[in-house]
Amino acid sequence: MPFISKIERQTDYRRFPSSTPIVIDNGASYFRIGWAGEPEPRVIFRNIVQRPRHKVTGETVTIVGDHDVTLLRYFDCTRSGPRSAFDNNVVYQFEIMEYILDFAFDRLGADGSRIDHPILITECVCNPFQSRSKMAELLFDTYGVPSIAYGVDAAFSYKYNQHHGVCDKDGLAICPGFMTTHVIPFIDGEPEYKGCCRTNIGGYHVTDYLKQLLSLKYPHHMARFTWEKVEDLKMEHCYIAPDYMSEARLFQNGTEEAEDKTRSWQLPWVPPPTEEPPSEEEIARKAAIKEKQGQRLREMAEAKRSSRINELENESHGLEFLLKQLEQVEEHDIRSFLSATGYVSRKEVESALVKVTQSLLKAKGEQAEFEEKPDAERFHLLNKPDHECTPDELKLKKRQVFLKSTSEGRQRAKQKRHEEELERERRNQQDEQRRSKNPELYKEQLLAKYKDLSEKVEQRKRFKTNGGQTNGNNFSGNVGRGERLNAAQRERMRLLTTAAFDRGKGEDTFGARDEDWQLYKLMSKDNDDDDEGPDADEAELTRLSSRLREVDPTFVPRSDNGNSQAVEAPRVRPLTEEDFRIDFGVERFRCPEILFRPNWIGIDQAGLDEMAGVSLRRLPSKGTELAERLTSSIFLTGGSSLFPGMSERLEAGIRMITPCGSPIRVVKALNPVLDAWRGASAYAASPQFPAQTFSKQDYHEKGEDIVRRYEFQYHIL
Amino acid sequence: MEREVIQAELVLPNKLSFKRVQMNDKYPKGQPRGRWKHLKQIIQAENYQNYPPDEPNYVNIESPPSMHPCKRICDITGYEAPYYDPRTNLRYANTEIFKQIRSLPNEYVQRYLALRNAAVVLK
Repeated sequence: MPFISKIERQTDYRRFPSSTPIVIDNGASYFRIGWAGEPEPRVIFRNIVQRPRHKVTGETVTIVGDHDVTLLRYFDCTRSGPRSAFDNNVVYQFEIMEYILDFAFDRLGADGSRIDHPILITECVCNPFQSRSKMAELLFDTYGVPSIAYGVDAAFSYKYNQHHGVCDKDGLAICPGFMTTHVIPFIDGEPEYKGCCRTNIGGYHVTDYLKQLLSLKYPHHMARFTWEKVEDLKMEHCYIAPDYMSEARLFQNGTEEAEDKTRSWQLPWVPPPTEEPPSEEEIARKAAIKEKQGQRLREMAEAKRSSRINELENESHGLEFLLKQLEQVEEHDIRSFLSATGYVSRKEVESALVKVTQSLLKAKGEQAEFEEKPDAERFHLLNKPDHECTPDELKLKKRQVFLKSTSEGRQRAKQKRHEEELERERRNQQDEQRRSKNPELYKEQLLAKYKDLSEKVEQRKRFKTNGGQTNGNNFSGNVGRGERLNAAQRERMRLLTTAAFDRGKGEDTFGARDEDWQLYKLMSKDNDDDDEGPDADEAELTRLSSRLREVDPTFVPRSDNGNSQAVEAPRVRPLTEEDFRIDFGVERFRCPEILFRPNWIGIDQAGLDEMAGVSLRRLPSKGTELAERLTSSIFLTGGSSLFPGMSERLEAGIRMITPCGSPIRVVKALNPVLDAWRGASAYAASPQFPAQTFSKQDYHEKGEDIVRRYEFQYHIL
Repeated sequence: MEREVIQAELVLPNKLSFKRVQMNDKYPKGQPRGRWKHLKQIIQAENYQNYPPDEPNYVNIESPPSMHPCKRICDITGYEAPYYDPRTNLRYANTEIFKQIRSLPNEYVQRYLALRNAAVVLK
């Protein structure tokens, strides 16, 4: 269950006297603040700050903690991601820290001119001096706090549980946190920092790993995997397998147990509206509409045609009239008579009339009698030998020769086409016969042919685009110029460069001699041949694939650039519900496993179980019975220890390291998340607490030494 | 500011009574905000080598590299993976996964490798 933030403004600030300390658990994930002596912190929120700009007013505001996403739409959050004051587990950004403290004190109900209560604040193990001193400076100077105490959160948690009898005086505290994991041995109730061990892996890395894995597995839904959502998923579904390899094998073999363990998350998905087959009336209505439209079009065409016929008729009438008039007019008057109408001679008028009548006939739809003079007459001059013709006739003859050859060529082409058609028909018939005789064999043959052909085409393409030098992941685009050339083109380049190059000292004298240009004759021939070859193959390929599609319902044409979009499944079927379902089986236990094997993320440090061994080895005072006492009380706390199955795994891991037969007992904190605060609160409420703090005067008098050497004494409880 | 935003008290107010120095005065608007030292620089500035090595400090307590032999898992599915692909350096468990790996575009290959911190980063 996810952590909940409590950010109600508290109203009873004034109730508490000045001596009541305020207890702060300053963690990399959550910030908890409350009064000493109380069982629960008052205010809890996520330890992040955002500084977006308000869309309307343009001012930059500060928002602390995680908030309702719907309210954030008033702000432009593009340039301001959530920022944390922590780097690893050390506070380094004190400006952000100040915003956070502001918010926290404000929600605690603070008013008055300064925070007049001593403060107990948690820090990381062996906090660097600079961080500590800056924090002290911040609290003293800006907030006017009278005194401060620092403590380690894991230690507080341990002591609290020790007080409640969960663990013993001597023990090992294992605290997987948000960014780091610590193992601290406790001897006689005090943490022994010399034996402490820290690995830089924590809940943050687990969530990040899960997020990346899911994004890579389901790239379409990448936008859905926000940090918060993934964290929720992690908290709900992830567990630690007692033995990783056997679990993985379960899943690999696909057993039923594995099925049970797989959880799936169904994203909202609306099936596309199924188009119902149109009902009868629909069909009838659509047909009627189409009819009407067709009718309208036909009417329009008719009208146009009739109007054109009318025009033509009018024209022909006019021309006939003109002709008649011409007959009546005398020869020498023709020209002047005709100049008004725009025709020069009688012949022209006649030919115009002929044309008009022809088009009229055509418009009327009758077969126009093409006044094609028979071939003998048209080409009558061809048979006459040259020397017998007059110059005019020679010209005419040349034209007729040309016409004849073209018409012959046209006829031949028609003939060839006809023959080809016949041939194709024949072949199709043969195909059909073969198919009806033996469908299976036919299909197989076609498939085999298709495969061969597509291989050839692909190979040629591949060869063309890159000389087989990539790692097999061909992606189109980004191909250099040199790689696109095939053999012929490379030859061409070579010829050109040699021609341009070896022509004397720096001067380009190519082309001065005629023989140079012969170079181009060499080149172009090669080019043409190669470009045409693949086309025939590709045409064949498409023909085959269409044929196959008819024949075989399950055939899917192999796309030749299947490499570029290979992560998506080929979309030959519409998106189904399954595409929107996110399954995680293996990820459930693969992600928390990195706590035990940081190598899987690339962090080269020891995992949880190994850390316990390291810690035991580092202890200054060694002795088997000390080790035994420590291992018999192994205490688990911290936010990331909530994974189910962690205690068993830890126990098994530690058993491997310790000598055989030593007692091992792993106990969990009562509430791994809140116990640190509770422990701190118990300490702050105890009467010896004021002796543990240092005040501003101490800070100024004794200087930074006091801050350097400061260590909280835990045995007072 | 919209009403619901004010009601929800989303935004941190500019002036808080209990502060001696307000944020706006400490970090005036328009001026570059102070550069904070990152952890690496803090640790460097601490000069831990001057202190006696057996006293615990931030650097001391870090854990050493793992001694256990590393278990190799398939990068894509998470099963046990005894093999790896020499071209892409990804680990895989069986032949189907291998086919998938070979058909992955380069971007995804790099992201899988980056998960393991094994991607080649060219600066």
